[in-house]
Amino acid sequence: MQYTLAEQERKRKRRENQVGYAFMLPSLLFFFGFVIFPMGMALVTSFTNYSMTSFDFVGFTNYVNAFKDKVFLQASWNTIVIVLVSVPVVTLFSLWVASVVYKMGNAASSFYRVIFYLPIVTGTVAVTVVWKWMFNNYYGLLNYVFTNLGIISKNINWLGNPAYALWCIITILLTTSIGQPIVLYISALANVDPSLVEAAEVDGANNLQVFWKIKWPQIMSTTLYILVITTINSFQCFALIQLLTSGGPNNSTNTIMYKIFQHAYQYNQYGYGNAMGVLLALLIAVFSYFQFRLAKTDNE
Amino acid sequence: MTAALLLSLAGLAFAAEKTSITLWTYPIGGWGNREIVDGILAAFNEKYPNIEVSVEYLNYTDGDVQVTTAIESGTTPDIVMEGPERLVSNWGKAGKMLDISDLWTEEALADISAVSEAVVAACKSPEGVYYEFPLCMTTHTMGINYEVFEKAGALQYLDQETRTWTTENFEKAMQALVDDGVAVPGIIYCGGQGGDQGTCALAMNLYSASFTNPEHTAYTMNSEAGIKGLQKLVDMVNAGLLTADTGIAAADELQLFANGTSAMTLAWNAANASNYAANVDFTPYAMAFPTNEGNPELAGGIWGFGIFDNGDAARAEAAKEFIRFVTSDADQGPKSVYATGFFPVRASFGDIYTGSEKESFKEFSVFMPYLGDYYSVTPNWPVQRTEWWNLLQRIFNGGDVAAEVEVYVNNANAKLEAFRRQMPGTCRPSL
Repeated sequence: MQYTLAEQERKRKRRENQVGYAFMLPSLLFFFGFVIFPMGMALVTSFTNYSMTSFDFVGFTNYVNAFKDKVFLQASWNTIVIVLVSVPVVTLFSLWVASVVYKMGNAASSFYRVIFYLPIVTGTVAVTVVWKWMFNNYYGLLNYVFTNLGIISKNINWLGNPAYALWCIITILLTTSIGQPIVLYISALANVDPSLVEAAEVDGANNLQVFWKIKWPQIMSTTLYILVITTINSFQCFALIQLLTSGGPNNSTNTIMYKIFQHAYQYNQYGYGNAMGVLLALLIAVFSYFQFRLAKTDNE
Repeated sequence: MTAALLLSLAGLAFAAEKTSITLWTYPIGGWGNREIVDGILAAFNEKYPNIEVSVEYLNYTDGDVQVTTAIESGTTPDIVMEGPERLVSNWGKAGKMLDISDLWTEEALADISAVSEAVVAACKSPEGVYYEFPLCMTTHTMGINYEVFEKAGALQYLDQETRTWTTENFEKAMQALVDDGVAVPGIIYCGGQGGDQGTCALAMNLYSASFTNPEHTAYTMNSEAGIKGLQKLVDMVNAGLLTADTGIAAADELQLFANGTSAMTLAWNAANASNYAANVDFTPYAMAFPTNEGNPELAGGIWGFGIFDNGDAARAEAAKEFIRFVTSDADQGPKSVYATGFFPVRASFGDIYTGSEKESFKEFSVFMPYLGDYYSVTPNWPVQRTEWWNLLQRIFNGGDVAAEVEVYVNNANAKLEAFRRQMPGTCRPSL
C-alpha cells in the first residue's frame, strides 16, 4: 500500500512537472529564439568578417583590432566612467529617497513614487528632447539661469564641450535611472520586519544602527538586484548618446554600445560589431560577479 | 462556345491577378508626405490597376538601420527611393540591387545627359551597371537672413545676380555682421554627420580644394588648399566671425537659422526653403559657398529609384513599370519632380515651377551650373562622414589643423582601402 502511495506521489509530481514545463514552453521557446540563439550567433560571427558581402572566419582578428582601436578604448573608458559614477549615485540616492518616502502616508508615498517614476514612463526620446533644450548653447535654460545668477559669465556649450558633455549624459542617465530603484527600495523597506526594528529600538539602538544592523541586511537582495540592473543599464547607455551627441565631441561621450551600433548599422561591419558586443558582455559579467561577491560577503 | 467561355474566364482571371510591390522612400521633399504620395499612387493605379504599391516612409535618423535590417533578414522592399551614395555605392555594390539598365533607354540617357553627365555617371557602378534611375536633383547651398545682412551693410559683399561671393568678401560680410552686433553670424556645426555636405562644401570651396581625387579613390583635403580652407574657418571662429558648435548637427542649425538666432545656414536647399517657409519671419536668401576664384563647386543631391533583388521577376517588372511611370511619363514625370521641390534630371521636362505655387523655387535654378563633382559616391562614404565631423570637432577644440587633417585623410583613406580590398572593383571612373 505504501509503495502504491509513493508511486502515486511520484506520478503526481511527474505530471505536475510536465504541466509546469508545458506552461514554460512558450517562454522558453521565446527565450531560446530571441535571446540564446542571437547570443550564440553574435559569438560565432564575432570570429568572422561578416558584412553585407562577406562571411569568412578570421579567428581573433576582430578582438585584436578592437584592442588596437583607440576609439574603442576611449569608448570603453567612457562606459566605465558612466558605470562607476552612475551606479553608486543611483543606488545611494534611491536608498536615501526611499528611506524618506516609505515612512510617509499612502497618498504622499504614491505621489513621490509617481514623480520619480515619470522619466521612465515618459520615454527616453521625450526626456532627451527636454534635456537637449535645457542644455542648448544659445537659448537653453541652464545657460539662462547660470548667467543670470552670475555663476557663469558666458554661455557654455554643454553638449559640445568635451569637458562637460559626458557629465551631461550622466546627469540625464541618473534622472532616467532612479525611478525603478526608488520604487523597489520603498517596497523593500516597507517589508522589513517591524518587530525586529522595535526590538532594536527597545535595546537602545539609534537610527543609524537600526538601519545598518536591521534594515540593510534585509534589503540586501533588493540592493543586489538594483546594483546589477543599474550596472547593465549604464553599460548599455545608447539612446542618450545617439540622440544628443553621436558620441562626440572628440569621442568624449562615445560608449561601447554606440560604437557597436556605428559599426553594425552605419559601416555594416557586423562581425567587428559583434566582437565588441562580446567584449561588452564579458565586461558586464566581470562587474556583476564582483557585485555578487560583495553582496554575498555582506550577507555573511 | 465552350472555348469562348474558357477564354473569357482566363481573361477575367488574368485581369484580376494583381502584383503587389512595396516602396520604401526617404523624406525627399513631398515624397515623405503620405498625402502627396497617395496622389501619385492613385495616378499610377489609373494606368496600372493590376499593380498594388504599398509605401513605407523612412527617415534619415534610422532609415539606414531599417534597410540594413531588411537586407540581413531578407525582407527588403521592391523599390527604394534615395540617392546614388546608398543605392549604387552601398547596396548596389554589395550585390543587393537589380541591374536596371533596361530603364536607361537611349532617349532617357540622352535626355538626362543633356542636363548633367554627372547624374548619369553617379547612377551606375564602376562596372557600368545602372542601379538607380534618377528623378530629380538639386544643389546644396548656404542661406542667409537677407534683412540682417541688409541692416549690417553686408549685402555689398554679395553678387546677388550670380548668388556668389568671394572668400575675402565672405569674411568681410561676417565682420560687418559682428560689427552690427549680430551675436551668431553663422555656425559651423559638427555634432554629427547630419548636413555634412554644408561643412564639406564650405571648407573645400574657400580655396578651391577637392574633397576627393577625380577617380574617387582617395580623400584629398590634406592638399594645401584644403588645409588653408579649414585653417581659415578656425581663424574666423577664433576671431568671433563664426561659431563652431560641436554639439549640434544641421537640423539644429537650421532651427537656429529659422528662429533668427543665426544669420546664416550652411544646410540650405530648395526643400529646406519650402519646409521652413512658413516658420520664418525674414527672407531666407540662398547663396553659393564662397570661393577664392569665383567658381563655386556645390555639392549635389541626386534622388531616384532602385530595385532590390528579391528574386521575383513579376514583382521586379511591376517595380520597373512604377519607376517608368513616375520618372518618365510625360504627364506624371514633371509632377513627381514637382512633389520633391527639386529639379528635373530630364531636359525635356523644362521649367516646372514657373506659374506654380512653388515659383519661388526657381531661385535655386541659378545654382545648377555650379553643380560640382558628386564625391559622395566614393565607396565606404559613411565611414568618411564620421571621420569628417570628428576632424572638425578636433580642430575647433584646439587641434593643429594640418596635423589633424592628415589624421583624417589617413584614417579615411585606410578604411577606403580596406573596403576596396574587401570588395574589389570599387574604384569609380571619373565623372
